[in-house]
Amino acid sequence: MATISVPIGQRQPKTRMPALADMLRWTVDHKIIGMQYMVAAFVFFLIGGTLALMIRWELMTPTLDVMQDGTAYNSLFSIHGTVMLFLWIVPMFAGFGNYLVPLQLGAKDMAFPWLNAFAFWLIPPAGIFMLMGYFMGQAEAGWTSYPPLSTLFGNDGQTMWAMSLHLLGISSILGAINFIVTILNMRPEGMTLWKMPLFCWATLATSIIVVMATPFLAGALTLLLLDRVGGTSFFNPANGGDVLLWQNIFWFYSHPAVYIMVLPGMGMLSEVLSIHSRKPIFGYRMIALSSMAIALIGFTVWAHHMFTSLQPELRIPFMISTMIIAVPTGIKMFGWLGTLWGGKIRFTSAMLFSLGFLSMFVIGGITGVMLANVPFDYQVHDTYFVVSHFHFVMFGGSVFAIYSGIYHWFPKMTGRMLDERMGKLHFALTYFGFFFTFFPMHMVGMLGMPRRVAVYDPQFQSWNVLISLAAFVLGFSTLILVYNIMVSLSRGRVAGANPWRALTLEWATSSPPPAWNFDEDPVPFEDPYGYGTQAATDYLNAIDRTFGVPDETPERGGALRVASAPSGD
Amino acid sequence: MAQAAVPQHAAHGHDDHHTRLSNENQKLAMWLYLASEVVIFSIFIGGYAIFRVNNPASVKAVHQTLGLVLVTVNTFLLLASSYAMVMGLRAIQMKNRQQFMMWIGATVVLGIIFVGGQWVEYRELAHHEITLAGISDQFGGFGMRFYAPTAFHGAHVIVGVIWAMVVLWRGSRGHYDNNPIGVEIFGLYWHFVDVVWIILFTLIYLV
Repeated sequence: MATISVPIGQRQPKTRMPALADMLRWTVDHKIIGMQYMVAAFVFFLIGGTLALMIRWELMTPTLDVMQDGTAYNSLFSIHGTVMLFLWIVPMFAGFGNYLVPLQLGAKDMAFPWLNAFAFWLIPPAGIFMLMGYFMGQAEAGWTSYPPLSTLFGNDGQTMWAMSLHLLGISSILGAINFIVTILNMRPEGMTLWKMPLFCWATLATSIIVVMATPFLAGALTLLLLDRVGGTSFFNPANGGDVLLWQNIFWFYSHPAVYIMVLPGMGMLSEVLSIHSRKPIFGYRMIALSSMAIALIGFTVWAHHMFTSLQPELRIPFMISTMIIAVPTGIKMFGWLGTLWGGKIRFTSAMLFSLGFLSMFVIGGITGVMLANVPFDYQVHDTYFVVSHFHFVMFGGSVFAIYSGIYHWFPKMTGRMLDERMGKLHFALTYFGFFFTFFPMHMVGMLGMPRRVAVYDPQFQSWNVLISLAAFVLGFSTLILVYNIMVSLSRGRVAGANPWRALTLEWATSSPPPAWNFDEDPVPFEDPYGYGTQAATDYLNAIDRTFGVPDETPERGGALRVASAPSGD
Repeated sequence: MAQAAVPQHAAHGHDDHHTRLSNENQKLAMWLYLASEVVIFSIFIGGYAIFRVNNPASVKAVHQTLGLVLVTVNTFLLLASSYAMVMGLRAIQMKNRQQFMMWIGATVVLGIIFVGGQWVEYRELAHHEITLAGISDQFGGFGMRFYAPTAFHGAHVIVGVIWAMVVLWRGSRGHYDNNPIGVEIFGLYWHFVDVVWIILFTLIYLV
């Protein structure tokens, strides 16, 4: 039971909504830093998305029309990929982590607030480096930047690309160290590791991967930079180097890194699915442990990216380990389905995006197992099938989870609810736009259309027109979210402390939380997902009594349509 | 808990719990940081090791042109600096500021001599035409695989020397009298740099 005992009205929120100017200010408050991460990442998302739509525009016809030459197209998809992975998904999850981890642990801040701010402020210069490469010959070797494309060829933009990634890597490592220390050392009394919210578990697993894997990228980039500007030839076989060295080190980082880009999303999903179906999470320990298992096994699968360049006798072991990693992922899936089973499901926008994640991520997971098969991989290697696979994981998985998280935690961050009607429209357009953008890519891939080319066989044109039209719908759907956020910031209904009646600690304080998060040390509920019990109802009612529930009377301009709070448990 | 608005150094003494937690946090963070450093060094060390296995002839040729005297003395100095570091930490834990200053000062001096010795050796290697650029290297790419790990290590020593100077300066102002954690954290880093050098020395010069 909570020990919240202050009478009604005594703890009215003294907090104000974070202003735009706060996003540009040096501060060590983890909440502002978290939002700085998110805002910066979202800007890069819009940039990366614009690049994606330019790719789709180019591919409407089988000939070159928008781009002047193949090199320009190479730069386009290289920067699209790099921006989306390293400047959107990774910092966005870092933003959610920064905002939520201390709150969920009932802490005042992260373990190292200054380091936290420093880690964030490495990101804007890194982004500028990446984009400024445009003025000196943009990187054009893809986001994987295999040598010799990235060493013997390419302009100074490639060097800028490497330096940018270096900065982002340092930022990630510092952030991850901060997360691990905060999660292991700063939990409140009574919250053991096994009573920790699953988002914190996911962040812990992610941070372990970051600390152990990102240095591989740092090492590889150092060698790449030395090759480019120091005259060495680590990757040049003509002078005693080895091109496969890059592929091995890069994927030894980058395969674990795809779990960096999806595990926090899985953690968010565990929160959202349980809260919006009013049911305890099914298989808490298995979901927590499967994150750790994914983190561990993730280090043993890297060479499945190199089936065509790998020594033949190593293919089967990597095929097996890759299939094994589908097992903990499957455990999570069944855990989530078990959570939903028999729950009082409320189709809020946050819930819809989480359900969207479930359906899309399964497709991405299954195509992942298909690609793990060496003979199948040989057929579709470097075709649109691969493009489709990783977009199902990265967009259908990570971005859907991010959207879900935005709808779920926006009330906590700003004190205002997002509009549900626009949220559902956003979901519908994203869901169908996404599906019809990326699902047909499986077909063109299996028909043999190679990735990373601007000029393709005219027989694929009708597929590509369909894909491009769906992509424009998908791109447009993002603007609905932007509009929703802007309108809801000024006219959205006041959220109150706990609009979803959730049991984790971030909801046991006012929205937005005060400067040091909690006015008195909060007492966590015995089970973060113990919905449906009398004790949980009492705890939630105590929170409502303490912080008050906003009345439904519309504010100026009339309230937008929002989800009503669940009753009872 | 103390109001976090109180600056950290003003908070010791009257808030043991906060200090202890902060110390634990810093130590764990340093170990995690060192774990990530291990990974970076292992790439460079692995790169050299593979070259060593595949090209025993050129490594032997390099060994024959170079003496071991300078690098052995250098290794000894770095080991000695780690010893000085331990003694410095011990001194400040016993609240003996003067001895602390002496030992950490010795760490700084030994670190600087090590970097100087490395510089002299690089000059000698350049004289023997062992170069960073793969294309002009007489020993089939030995140069780049030698310079990358040793220079990366050297950079760590330089950072360590600067850090030691900061520790020295802060220690002289009584910063560590009540809580020597800052010295301990620096010690972890310095010993790590030392251990890496022992591995590099063994792998590159001895085998």
